[in-house]
Order: sequence, then C-alpha cells, then structure tokens
Amino acid sequence: MNGAQTVVAALGREGVDFIFGYPGGAIMPMYDALFQHPVRHVLCRHEAAAVFAASGYARTSGRVGVCCATSGPGATNLVTGLTDAFMDSVPVVAITGQVRTELMGTDGFQEADVCAITQGVTKMNFLVTDPAKIASTLHEAFALARSGRPGPVLVDIPNDLLKAQIDPAFAESQPLPVRAESRPRIDDAAIRDAVARIRAARRPVAIIGGGVRADAVEAYRTFVSLLGLPHASTIMGLGAGSYHDPAFLGMLGMHGLKAANKAVQRADVLIALGMRFDDRVTGKPDRFARTAQVIHADIDATEFGKIIRPDVTLHGDLRDTLEALVAELVRTQVPRFDDWAVEARLLGGPLPSDRVNEHVLSATDVLDRFFAALPENAVVTTDVGQHQMWAAQRARPTHPRNFATSAGLGAMGFGFPAAIGAQFARPDAPVFAVVGDGGFQMCLPELATLRRYKVPAKVLLIDNQNLGMVRQWQELFFSERYSATNLADNPDFAAIARAYGIEAFFANDPAGADETIRRFVDHQGPALLHAACHPTENVWPMIPAGMTVDDLMEARA
Amino acid sequence: MTCDLTLRDARSIARIVNLAHRFNCRCTRIDATTDDEATRASLAFDGPALALTRLRAQIDRILAYEAPAQ
Repeated sequence: MNGAQTVVAALGREGVDFIFGYPGGAIMPMYDALFQHPVRHVLCRHEAAAVFAASGYARTSGRVGVCCATSGPGATNLVTGLTDAFMDSVPVVAITGQVRTELMGTDGFQEADVCAITQGVTKMNFLVTDPAKIASTLHEAFALARSGRPGPVLVDIPNDLLKAQIDPAFAESQPLPVRAESRPRIDDAAIRDAVARIRAARRPVAIIGGGVRADAVEAYRTFVSLLGLPHASTIMGLGAGSYHDPAFLGMLGMHGLKAANKAVQRADVLIALGMRFDDRVTGKPDRFARTAQVIHADIDATEFGKIIRPDVTLHGDLRDTLEALVAELVRTQVPRFDDWAVEARLLGGPLPSDRVNEHVLSATDVLDRFFAALPENAVVTTDVGQHQMWAAQRARPTHPRNFATSAGLGAMGFGFPAAIGAQFARPDAPVFAVVGDGGFQMCLPELATLRRYKVPAKVLLIDNQNLGMVRQWQELFFSERYSATNLADNPDFAAIARAYGIEAFFANDPAGADETIRRFVDHQGPALLHAACHPTENVWPMIPAGMTVDDLMEARA
Repeated sequence: MTCDLTLRDARSIARIVNLAHRFNCRCTRIDATTDDEATRASLAFDGPALALTRLRAQIDRILAYEAPAQ
C-alpha cells in the first residue's frame, strides 16, 4: 500500500462519500488511488469552487466536507474557501499535494508553502513528513475539524510520501473521537445565575447564532417556547427559530428586521446563544443593547468579552447549555413573556419595499414569489450581496442546515458551488442557489460540474446589472459616484447555461414572473432562472455600518 | 503581558507573533526551547490593553486547537 492509497483508505474509514477537488502534478498519486474507489471524487472546475462545495456539503449535512488540490496554485486557490469555513466554523478537511521533499525550499515548480499561507485561517494545518504518519494525521485532522468549535484543517502531503510504500501497521490508524476536552462541563452556578436573571427580567430577548448547528435546534426551540420568549437570529442561525412561532422576530443586524433590532435594543436581558456579536449585528458595540444584562453562551471561550462584555458566561456545547437552562427553569415556576413578545413583534412591520418601477421586475418581488413557491424541505444557498440580504430577510428555512451562506467572510462566488456540495450531501432535497450577477460570474464554469454529475440543483440569478450592494453604498455614502460597479454589459446568462446543457428560464416581465418561477422551481433536474431586475433597487431596512438601530434607514433620504 | 506557553507545534509561535503585530502589539521577548515532546516558550508583549486582552484570548484559542488529541 502506498501513501496515496493510505489517504483514500483513511477517508473511507472516516465515512467520506464525496471529495471535491481538482487534480494536478503533485497530487496525482492520490488521484490514481481514487480511480474507481468507493470514495467518489467530484471534479469541480476550479479549486475555489471545490472548497466552497465541500463547505456547502458540510453546512447542509453536519458532516465534515472534504476537498483536495495540487501543490502551488491549486493549494493557494483554496485559501478563500478555507477562510470562509474558519469564519463560519464549518468543518472542512483540505488535502493538498506538495512538491517532492527534495524540492521543498528550492522554489520548485508549483511549490508554495501552503501551511504558512493558511496558518491564520485554519484551526491547524499539518505538513506530513513521515509516510507512516499519513493515516494518523488525517484522522487527527478530521477529529480536530469537528471538535469543539468546528473549522477547517489542512493536510499537506509531499508527492514522494504519496508514492512511498507504507507498512500496513501504520496505514490502518483508526478515526479519533471528538475531543473530550472540547465539550466543557456545564457550570451549574452559572446556569443558576443566568436563570435568576431571566426570571427577574421584564424584556428578555434571545439571539441565536451559528452555534445552533451543534444539534441544538430542538433544545433551542424548547427553551424559547417554554418562556414565550421573543427571539431573533443572526444570519448563521436562520432556521433555528420556527417561522410558525409568533415570538420569532427574524434576522437582526445591518439588514435585519426592524422588530428584531428594536427588541434587542430595548431588552433588559439579552441571551446570546452561539453567536459572536459580529459588527454586522452590533453596529456600534458601545451603543448596542445598552440597557441589557448579557448572558453569553458559546463553545469558544475566546468569544466572551471580545466585543460585548457579558454579565454571565455559559461556556459549553450549546445543546448541553440549553438543556441545563431548561432543567433549571422547570425546577420551579417558569416565567412567561408572552405580553412582551407581542409588544416586541409590534415594534416592526412589513419589510419596506423599494420597487422603483412597476413595469420592471423587482428583485424583492421575485424573491417573495420564489420563497413562497418552495417546498418546506428546500435547501437554499446564497452568494454574497444584496440578494443575500433580501434572501435572508425572506427565506423560511425549517432548519439551519437548510440555509447556507458565506456570512462572516462574505465571499462572493460561494453560493453556486455550495449548492452543488449541498446537493451531494442531501440528494433527496430540492436545492437552490440564490446568486447575483457579480458572484455568479466568479463561478460560472461550475455549470459544467452541474451537467457532468446531473446535479439537480437550481440557480436563481438575480441580475440587476450591478455589483448591487457596493452600488447601494456608493449611492448612500459616496455621493452617487458609481465606481466600477456597473455590469450593464452582462452576458446572456440563459444562453451560457444552455451552452453547458443546462435548462434555462428567463424573466423580465412582472406579469409573467409567477408562472416562470413556478416552472423553474418544479423543473426536474438542473436549471437556471435568469431574473433581469431593476438596477437600482436597494436593501431596506439598513443600519449604516458603525451605527445603531436609532439610525435605521427604511428608504432613500 | 507575558505568556509562558507549552506548545505542541513550534510554528504556533510564529502564528502568535503575527497576531500580535496584527493587533498593534509588539512582541518584546521570545525565549523558546523545543524537543520531541513540546515547545516551551516565554513571550512578552507590549500594546494597548484591549489589544493585549484580545491577543491573550486568541493565544488561548490556538492552544486549544493545537492540544494533542486524547
């Protein structure tokens, strides 16, 4: 058995079914080992798409996503996706080929020190220097990726190690369990302190974040429904709060719903669950939820006090924490906050419309109709920009694994390959990517991946012939100086899709949009809907960067 | 701020020094020895109090990540 066969065997023991990648010189032995192997390789058309696909797979399944690339440019093309996974705590293992050991340090062909490059954007990376350690290193990488706060891990393997013969005793290292120390024991005193503050509260609000992906959805819903607690979500937590729950206020933050932002600002106790007070949520931290005592629960103690100083910290796995809170609450009389929940909901109102011209397709109208047409089990990925915020405001995911977006990094080009990965992870679910015309053009060649594997994922393209979010900021904050945001010379996207053998629909007329959207959603197999929308529609509401809900804008000045 | 660290991976020192620079702190002293088991390092940093707090938290996170699997 050689090193490459050891890699593939280790992937098999980890239960890996798909690996997203792109071949090249240094990693060729691994591709030889993958040939006709049960671990299926999915050939993407760019390494950046491969890592986004692995991320989409992981985000929508809860399993580790795996990608691979060759040395040098292949490896460096993974960097954005790894950073995205690091920011959003997504378990991804990346395997890169490296030049032969004897060439390392000689500026050899396709040599790059990918471990140094990715040190700051991975939980950890490994350069394997001994073929006998290939299997054990891979198993450690998987354990590390999914332990505690999940994240990406990179394993770099020189070409000569992939070709080296290995003693079978070293090749059969076994998978490692999730690290015990990564699931801290719940602090009972802190739980009692938190519950005492909740009991004494008059206007408590919960905020759920991406930490809910740690199998904490049911525990979260039990917690908020037990109290009748008004609750909001970060974009990473969407799907945790049930949209049938009238106390759920929706997404908060820069483009969040007014009720969510206002309720948080009026809260006297803020229960922050698996969220990290991102600046897109807090705006101006020293004016965020000024009157609230803060109870902060997170698996990563680094988050406590990083942005907002908490009054109580609950360090631990979120499901454990929520179950402990519920147990402590039900030990005596449970407070109810139904009246406050009604009041909180009334702080908002319908989403403001920015329809500019009733004869031109409005992006928000398209998205309203699209989400209304989706089945409950739909999985939606988004790219980054205006369409992402409009989608986050309107989507009704029934579980956090049904909504995947590049939240922390905001990496354009994520949405479409992530949908491909999601479809491999969830073959029975209808999968849709909502993308803009800017981001879609960063990953157009993945139409070939869709075609090759007959992936039935669909792409809703909101084309406003602009880099819309940047254009919106230029309009509002840069005196309408539209520098490098106009994409009026966009190609015929439907024709491009058809050239790849993908069914394409086109909509630009509000009158016929409903029917086109229905046909697109119901289409069996991969498809693109190119929705040509008004170019100047803005995302409202908006809290300008570094401001608070008091500065919330709902329309142009 | 001084930190006496036992690290599994000597490269983590570079990661920590890079973070210090990023947070507008200055690494004023690095003493490190390494053997087959671990790297033992003593580092000192100067910088704004808030930045040093943030740096310390990030160092703790790196230590948690690189701790050997059980």
